Amino acid sequence: MSDENYCRVASLAELPQGKSMSVEIGEREILLCHTSEGVFAVDNLCTHGAARLCEGKLKGQRILCPLHGAAFDVRDGAALSRPAVRPLASHRVSVEGDDISVLLVDE
Amino acid sequence: MTLENSEPGTARAPGPAVADTLSADSRGVPPPLREQRYEFLGDEDIPCSRYTSQAFADLETERLWGRCWQWACREEHLQDVGDNYVYNIGPYSVIVVRSAPDKIQAFINSCTHRGTRILGGEGAGYTPQLTCPFHGWSWNVAGELEALPARWDFPHVGAGTHNLQAVKCETWGGFVFINLDPDARPLAQYLDVLPEHFSHFPLERRRVRLHVQKVLPANWKASQEAFMEAYHNFETHNAPNGANTQYDIFGKFVSRFIHNIGNYSVESLQDYPGDKWRNPPLTENELLQMLSVFGLDHEEVPPGETARSVAAEDLRRCIGEALGIDLSEVSDSLMLDSIEYHLFPNMFFFPGITVPMVYRFRPNGDDVDSSLFDFLILEPLPEGAEHPEPPEPIYLDVEQSYTEAEGLEWLGPVYDEDTGNLALQQQGFKTSRKRGITLGNYQESRIRRVHMTLDEFMAENSE
Repeated sequence: MSDENYCRVASLAELPQGKSMSVEIGEREILLCHTSEGVFAVDNLCTHGAARLCEGKLKGQRILCPLHGAAFDVRDGAALSRPAVRPLASHRVSVEGDDISVLLVDE
Repeated sequence: MTLENSEPGTARAPGPAVADTLSADSRGVPPPLREQRYEFLGDEDIPCSRYTSQAFADLETERLWGRCWQWACREEHLQDVGDNYVYNIGPYSVIVVRSAPDKIQAFINSCTHRGTRILGGEGAGYTPQLTCPFHGWSWNVAGELEALPARWDFPHVGAGTHNLQAVKCETWGGFVFINLDPDARPLAQYLDVLPEHFSHFPLERRRVRLHVQKVLPANWKASQEAFMEAYHNFETHNAPNGANTQYDIFGKFVSRFIHNIGNYSVESLQDYPGDKWRNPPLTENELLQMLSVFGLDHEEVPPGETARSVAAEDLRRCIGEALGIDLSEVSDSLMLDSIEYHLFPNMFFFPGITVPMVYRFRPNGDDVDSSLFDFLILEPLPEGAEHPEPPEPIYLDVEQSYTEAEGLEWLGPVYDEDTGNLALQQQGFKTSRKRGITLGNYQESRIRRVHMTLDEFMAENSE
């Protein structure tokens, strides 16, 4: 990895298309989502009820919160449906070979 | 212009009928396509106010949408326990949820505490339990109240008194139907011939390949009626082959048209304006050219064959390979024709292979002047294959074009033509001095049947 701020968090083999998983960078929980458009990283905690989104479900480009069903666009973190109104932080992802690496955008 | 009218409904366009075309099919035609059932239903005008009156629309909300069966989603939207689908109709909202591996249930989308909609929006979602975003009351996916914060303050909430309110829910053809009337008759009594006919074309063995939802600028009935006849083909689509279409009325709830593709009769156009397609008539090669949008191998019709036989054979190979399905014994008719079944009040199912659509028309909220049109392409699944997760709908607003929807391809301009007259019609209803629309006895009989059944629902004590 050329940029040392990127942090290798998972292997692509662990995350087939259509699946999501949570990883930790420091003490922060990050949700990785592998959709038809690529691998994306957003915060793992719902901005409404702080539920863990990794316990919800990835449908298309949306992650659905297990508590109230709020939907977020995993590509940019946008809140798509009530009760969530604030977006998830969205992080940069690099996939090289089997390595998935994440750069936190707000730290 | 006056015609003799002693036997209304018996006249047909000149030239070969659908039954003649089916008799010339290169394969065996499924028996349901051989059936013909038409009866004259009257020729009175239909009042324009049924399309424009807010009072009429409000009554439809209560007496039609509150009492009829309607499909909410596909079973494949609900693959895992906890998968749900929110379906909205007028002011009503229903949550359909897979509550067990072999069980789908439906509930009113409203908290039993202070009424809040539990899930916002519409469409596919997932929650292992249903939780109200207001105070956090929570139910399991079977609708049983499980969590009530500050339970001490609600001694008047007893066991079972505040479960989610169940909605009747049944499945057919891979569709999940709901009925908001707790006393509704079973779905099977409502489907008329559909289960028997579609045993030949099982829709449960199809997958959603594309879903486009568009706002249309007309009342839901006017919008769907633009799709219930092929009489408009000549003027709206600049196409030669609508006049010989067959129309069937199977009962109160189900009707059909069979519109042959790839042939036409010169005689059927005898009183249409101009000489177009009559003098000179179209050649078989020109007819094949009109079908080239399907992506055919042939550019010319070999001697002794017809555009219809060549196109059907090319599509058997091409679509069969693309889907991984053996279509070698499928009739020309199923391969090519636009075969459209309508289920009252607002649902359309096409058993065809190249023309494999499903439509649903609904009021757009409480707006009497606009509607929502759901358009699905249902693609046959190879034997043994599981349903993939359905694609998210593509949403088009009222001023957008179908050509903006990726995946519609050649159908985009066709649907723009089909819907292009609707704003003018909705405006025309309001300026007409005639007060009513006039329907053809045969070609527009399906529209009349819908209005007759609607009248039964609108009568206070129907069903």
